[in-house]
Amino acid sequence: MSGRRASLAVVAVGVLTATALSIVVTSDGLPAAAAATTTFTPSADTYVDNSATGTNYGASGQLGVDDSPVKRLFLRFTVSGVPGSVTAAKLRLHTDDVSGAQSPSGGTFKAVSDTTWSETGVTWNNQPAIDGPTLGSLGAVSRNAWYEVDVTSYVTGNGTFGFGVTSSSTDGADFDSRETGSATAPQLVLTTGATTTTSAPAGDPVLVGAGDISNSGSGDSATAALLDNIPGTVFTTGDNVYDSGTTTEFNNYYNPTWGRHKARTRPSPGNHDYNTSGATGYYGYFGTQAGPSGQGYYSYDLGNWHIVSLNSNISTAAGSAQETWLRNDLAANTKPCTAAYWHHPLFTSGANHAPSTSTRPLFQALYDHNADVVLWGHNHQYERFAPQNPSGALDTTRGIRTFVAGMGGASHYSFGTIRPNSEVRNSDTYGVLKLTLHANSFDWQFVPEAGKSFTDSGTTACH
Amino acid sequence: MNTRARVLVTVAAALLLGGVAVGYTTLSAAPEPDVVSGVVRGSRLQVLGNGRLSVVSRTDPSGPREVTEERCDRAYAAGGTIACLRPVGALKAGGLSVLDSSRRELTTLPLTGFPNRARVSASGRMVAWTVFVDGHSYAANGFSTSTGILDVRTGDLVRSLEEFSVGGAAAQAADRNFWGVTFTADDNRFYATMSTGGHRYLVEGDFAARTVKALVDNVECPSLSPDGKRIAYKAAVNGDPRQGWRLSTMDLGTGTVTPLAETRSVDDQPAWLDDHTVAYGMQRSDGVNDVWAVPADATGSPTLLVPEANSPAPL
Repeated sequence: MSGRRASLAVVAVGVLTATALSIVVTSDGLPAAAAATTTFTPSADTYVDNSATGTNYGASGQLGVDDSPVKRLFLRFTVSGVPGSVTAAKLRLHTDDVSGAQSPSGGTFKAVSDTTWSETGVTWNNQPAIDGPTLGSLGAVSRNAWYEVDVTSYVTGNGTFGFGVTSSSTDGADFDSRETGSATAPQLVLTTGATTTTSAPAGDPVLVGAGDISNSGSGDSATAALLDNIPGTVFTTGDNVYDSGTTTEFNNYYNPTWGRHKARTRPSPGNHDYNTSGATGYYGYFGTQAGPSGQGYYSYDLGNWHIVSLNSNISTAAGSAQETWLRNDLAANTKPCTAAYWHHPLFTSGANHAPSTSTRPLFQALYDHNADVVLWGHNHQYERFAPQNPSGALDTTRGIRTFVAGMGGASHYSFGTIRPNSEVRNSDTYGVLKLTLHANSFDWQFVPEAGKSFTDSGTTACH
Repeated sequence: MNTRARVLVTVAAALLLGGVAVGYTTLSAAPEPDVVSGVVRGSRLQVLGNGRLSVVSRTDPSGPREVTEERCDRAYAAGGTIACLRPVGALKAGGLSVLDSSRRELTTLPLTGFPNRARVSASGRMVAWTVFVDGHSYAANGFSTSTGILDVRTGDLVRSLEEFSVGGAAAQAADRNFWGVTFTADDNRFYATMSTGGHRYLVEGDFAARTVKALVDNVECPSLSPDGKRIAYKAAVNGDPRQGWRLSTMDLGTGTVTPLAETRSVDDQPAWLDDHTVAYGMQRSDGVNDVWAVPADATGSPTLLVPEANSPAPL
């Protein structure tokens, strides 16, 4: 078995290690405006072996890298809560304290763009491509020692980062995995500078909301209370009321909660809104806020952004009135960034509703016009996907980042098999998704209901 | 013979012919390696690892895992037969695949609905499944399930237990839903859940006679112990599924109900690892599942058996 002793405790292990003299602690307890180091352990680490192509070693205490048999090592880190810019990033690995752990080569380290592989599912047969730039390599390594690779060019801030390690030496190296405990687990040590305390320019527009919202329960009250403290335009991704989309339900459930923000709300309809024929309850309640009555699709601009609200309860086929309108609308758009939202998700891991492939023509039109983000509901949960093309393949060039934001108040659903490129999921917290629309990028933030702690945040540049 | 019966006979005949054809190709093909004889040694457990059929060691669940290319949303295995409910794909409906222990596909059956439960009799002869047809949760109103049984040896197929005649407490019920079949050792009798009129009954069924009989209320997803004396199941808290379910066992001889030491809500059909332990899946808030185990007699406490897995079945 693998060793557990660390001979060189070079860096104190902890969530946060201060190296500067002064730390400014903000209200959420994170240091700001001062250089500091933050140490992360992997969210997943494992290796694959071409002599056992169907075997997974995710729970093992060892990470092997070798050329005979070929062993490749994969690491993934989730970096969050880093306050400033990253001035230095070091990936540190500890060699196992067993005979044979030493090697003439500690391996070549590269970035891996696929960050959604499963620690207990990845095998030689289904391993992610090691497709990123070379970050560095290690020469000879001995047993029971720390080694580090400079990855500053790759890890520049908050986000999810994957690494792949290969070796051309037939005498491979063995490192300790995260399963060995914090004293020997791999580390990503980030030094953050004091340079980015500049907050985002005030006044950038905010688009905030959720779907699957109002019924006789209390979830809608909890999320409406969040809106009370978040200015900006409110979106909804459908199923504004349950179960039948009647005027009575809008008046009794939606109006006392999310209805407080009706004047700044730009909704979209869901299947429950259409449980009333023609969604007359929905169109009657929202009036012109919902676009042309009975049509359910419309667009508007916010700052540098073009925003499109669509209707997945009517035809979304290529050549349909809605898809034709969408292509014309996008062709006429002059804003550099585009967001869209509707109810039925094209990409979801939810156990209750399968991906709505009939909406693909809408997504295709948005992709063809370089749209940046799409929001959905329908499955009562939160899920964030990496940027994908209309077929659901990872596309870091033109892909559209998508969210299922069905956590507006209706009781949660569970997840089924987790789909490729799904990055973050939650099924126990009501909340709203807040997008801050910068001139050429957007920040996303999951804002949880009072008393809950789940959150998710990040930034994506416009195409 | 009515139309429905004629259709059934035709389907069964087609399955039989399919079985013969598959048998022929299997015999004429080169033998494939048996995946379960790989690096996982000793007592083994079949699980799904995010939808991939996998095999882990029962004594070293943190050891290496065999991860196959077979994709299932729900699976079970017993007696050399694997039941795999295929995911609903973008371009194709889901369905049942019956595989042998080397994962060779013996037969397939297209199904409409979301995979939910699967079970194989101890001998490997009988296979049962449940899919959601409308709605998606046992805690909701207005859902509907479809549960069927296939005799792998004869090809005899019952697409829906709603075809069976009902005796006992709920004989007159018109609106019936079935889910969660478990077979007895004779490969004919079985237990299952029948929902009607707001009640969820344990029923005992007779496959050959095409009958079911309601026994007691508030029993869902029964799983018969290896010795055939007890069922493990989920009991709705206060008889209300919206309040969650308590994992429990019932002595079939005495009717004594024993709530187990797992106090979290369990929405699964448990699997017996032996006559003293049941295993079941629990989902974390990020959608990742784990297989847990708990003693079947109210003692002890739940233990994490296989991280990042569900659909456990002892091999």
